[in-house]
Amino acid sequence: MNDTQNPGDANPEANGGTSPEYDQSDLQRLSDLEHVRERPAMYIGDVTSRGLHHLVQEVVDNSIDEAMAGFASQVDVIINADGSVTVEDDGRGIPVEKHEQLSEEMDRDVSTLEGVMTKLKFGGKFKEGAYQATGGLHGVGVTVVNFLSQWCEVEVARQGNIYQQGYERGVPTGDVIQRGTTQKRGTRTTFKPDGSIFQTTKFQGAVLQKRLQELAFLNRGVRIRFQDERSDQQEEFYYERGIVEFVEYLNRASNALHSEVMEFSGEVDEILFEIALQYTGEFTENVHSYVNNINTQEGGTHISGFRAALTRALNNYGKKEKLFKEITPQGDDFREGLTAVISVRVPHPQFEGQTKTKLGNSEVEGIVSTGFFEAFSNHLEENPKAAKTIVRKGVLAAEAREAARKAKDVLRKRKNALSGGGLPGKLRDCISNEMERCELYLVEGDSAGGSAEGGRLRDFQAILPLRGKIINAYKAREDKVLANEEVQSMISAMGIGVGAEQDISKRRYNKVIIMTDADVDGSHIRTLLLCFFYRQMYHLVAGGHVYAAQPPLYRVRERKKTYYMQTEEEMKRELLNRGLEGACLDSGDGRVVEGDEMTQLCNVLATMEEALTALERRGINLKAHANRIDPETERLPVYRVFLRGEEHWLADRDKLEEFKQEHQPAEDESATDENDEGEGESNDQVSRLRIVELHEMRTINTGLSDLRSLGFDIQSLIAQERTGVEEARYELQRGDSTIPLEELRSLLSAVRSAGEKGLQLTRFKGLGEMNAEELRETTLDPENRTLLRVEMEDVAAADDLFRVLMGERVEPRREFIEKHALDVRNLDV
Amino acid sequence: MRCQICGSHFEPCLSSSLPFCSPRCQQVDLGRWLNEEHGLPIEPGEGSEDNLSADLGNDTQWT
Repeated sequence: MNDTQNPGDANPEANGGTSPEYDQSDLQRLSDLEHVRERPAMYIGDVTSRGLHHLVQEVVDNSIDEAMAGFASQVDVIINADGSVTVEDDGRGIPVEKHEQLSEEMDRDVSTLEGVMTKLKFGGKFKEGAYQATGGLHGVGVTVVNFLSQWCEVEVARQGNIYQQGYERGVPTGDVIQRGTTQKRGTRTTFKPDGSIFQTTKFQGAVLQKRLQELAFLNRGVRIRFQDERSDQQEEFYYERGIVEFVEYLNRASNALHSEVMEFSGEVDEILFEIALQYTGEFTENVHSYVNNINTQEGGTHISGFRAALTRALNNYGKKEKLFKEITPQGDDFREGLTAVISVRVPHPQFEGQTKTKLGNSEVEGIVSTGFFEAFSNHLEENPKAAKTIVRKGVLAAEAREAARKAKDVLRKRKNALSGGGLPGKLRDCISNEMERCELYLVEGDSAGGSAEGGRLRDFQAILPLRGKIINAYKAREDKVLANEEVQSMISAMGIGVGAEQDISKRRYNKVIIMTDADVDGSHIRTLLLCFFYRQMYHLVAGGHVYAAQPPLYRVRERKKTYYMQTEEEMKRELLNRGLEGACLDSGDGRVVEGDEMTQLCNVLATMEEALTALERRGINLKAHANRIDPETERLPVYRVFLRGEEHWLADRDKLEEFKQEHQPAEDESATDENDEGEGESNDQVSRLRIVELHEMRTINTGLSDLRSLGFDIQSLIAQERTGVEEARYELQRGDSTIPLEELRSLLSAVRSAGEKGLQLTRFKGLGEMNAEELRETTLDPENRTLLRVEMEDVAAADDLFRVLMGERVEPRREFIEKHALDVRNLDV
Repeated sequence: MRCQICGSHFEPCLSSSLPFCSPRCQQVDLGRWLNEEHGLPIEPGEGSEDNLSADLGNDTQWT
């Protein structure tokens, strides 16, 4: 070691005050100092708080470089009580030896440390290979910090000794001196920014803390401790997994779409890139980019390379996996919900832009793009689940973009056509504009629309005819949809807008009334409309403004009188009641059932009617089933059980359990049985047990018991084989007419037929079969009509069903119809 | 509640776009209505009355 510095003893001449040597002997250095102090913005951006905090980063960057080169593991940053800042690391320490070239230039012994602190573009950074790529905004580093400080002090612990030098406004207050010995090593820099240069010299703990945390993320394994002596605040940042943890930190409050943060890195021509990314359910892009630890807020070539590769890789994957429908997502779509950190290290970065935070090196674009594309594409291939989730998110984003455009068109059309109120052509609007009174009927079909138009109360009722449209949605399936024009018409007619701008106080009608036929087509359209309102005009439904009209199913004419029946059940009951007037049953054994008893009998039969039909639909004949009646309880069995090809009938659940116990393959038997085949067989037996529960049997059994109390047994329901008997088994007598019956089941229809005498029934196949007058009388006129308010739960249930039905699976017809039946029931409640 | 567009779970009281999680998802749904993508399957030959006539049973006797 060739130590040219003064030893630790104080030398007043070299150490005290400002030596004339330092002021005058080096014009070059003076001009550097003057230049920086006169035009600080050129070096640190500006002299606001931002530039002030940048000073700390310049010093910390040196320590980080030392850490990244493997010579330091820890950096301490302290805001001191007097407002100065200390940065300390445990690296090798800035060399203090005599710097030959500099000493020669300056014609005196100058240490390297002094060169670093007082010569621009001096130091390790500017020698190729000292550090691969370093931080610092423009590589001006600690020199500029020193020049812009009121005072600055550097302490170097190196090779067992402590060396120190002080400066005032960039000028050394003396030589580098040795001040003692130490076991430690490292560099410790303390500086107080010059208040005559900066607009403010007050450091903000939060700003520094954020920046230091960022640096710890960007430089994995480096421990950065922060202390604010003014507030006793302390933090420590240390991240083993670097930018992966950065992404996790950024996403801490978001829902990640895939659990693992994806990580990629590469190096070409001494340019290194590191990328970590993760998609979340958010809709914004959250990408942070860094070049040599500098936050490149304006982006640059590394960002453009990253973006291009991201879009290309996801597009390729989506195409290959056939994840795109009509729209192919664009770059923006794939960046929705993206959180990414991109960190590149470039030996000679060129910065451009307003704040000099845009990377200009063109070679970086290709390196990042090529390297990241390959790594990312491979990752997608290997992680199809995450890949598909990401691509689907992009597809949704594209769809939303497209939808926003279309919705805008719809609303614009409405505005443009101001002369005609922008209302749809098919709308027959009402005269009044008192919203509270006004009603909009959505009517299925043009012909019904015509009747409704004729029959409406024009003053406050508007009519919008709608039709379903059939499209070929999938190869093996046709779908019924609401045509685009219909959807547009509804949106325009309601006048409340869509989406976030929707305002139901602007509604043009207080009631929206859905009027559809009571058939399959009608229920399709009703389901579609309800789902549309639920999804796109939710608050209209929640506010109770959506109704279903109840058009009649039957018109009944009796002489000059006309009335209507709304449901099948209502009609049947009416006919039964009429038929029962003056009717009695001769039961063949001399007994006559009449009056209340007759009514009771018919009511019991009516309750059993559907259940008996259901039983026979199963292929179970009542006559055969009657033989299985339990003589004691006189009940019919409820369970049909198949075991090894044999059929068993069991009365109730207890009997079923008993049976199952009995025929359960005994476990210890099979356990003791060493024959493998035997065990196999017993398993087989279990699988052959098939149980069918006949739900309708409960109704039938109750009905049978009621029948018995009226004096009839099960045989009364079954036609008997009788030979040589002329007379009918039963007779329905009503007035002068007598109807012979072979069993009681036909009594109901006979009574109803009798009840129909003198009536003229018309069953409306659709709304279109009603004329304007009839429609007004039954369905439009508030005096007579019944409206069902659509409740939130009904419509949510309809929506559930809708979701199942419109699913992409091609469902068997049967399954569909079963569900469909459920649909009609739900909505009619 | 589960959003029918993106599948995410959300708190209904926190959404301004019910029954969806976000304005974005509601917009996607609106786009599907406007694109005629929301449909119910119908089977070819499915008549309007086929299914209801089963309920009517003895219908024929009255007319």
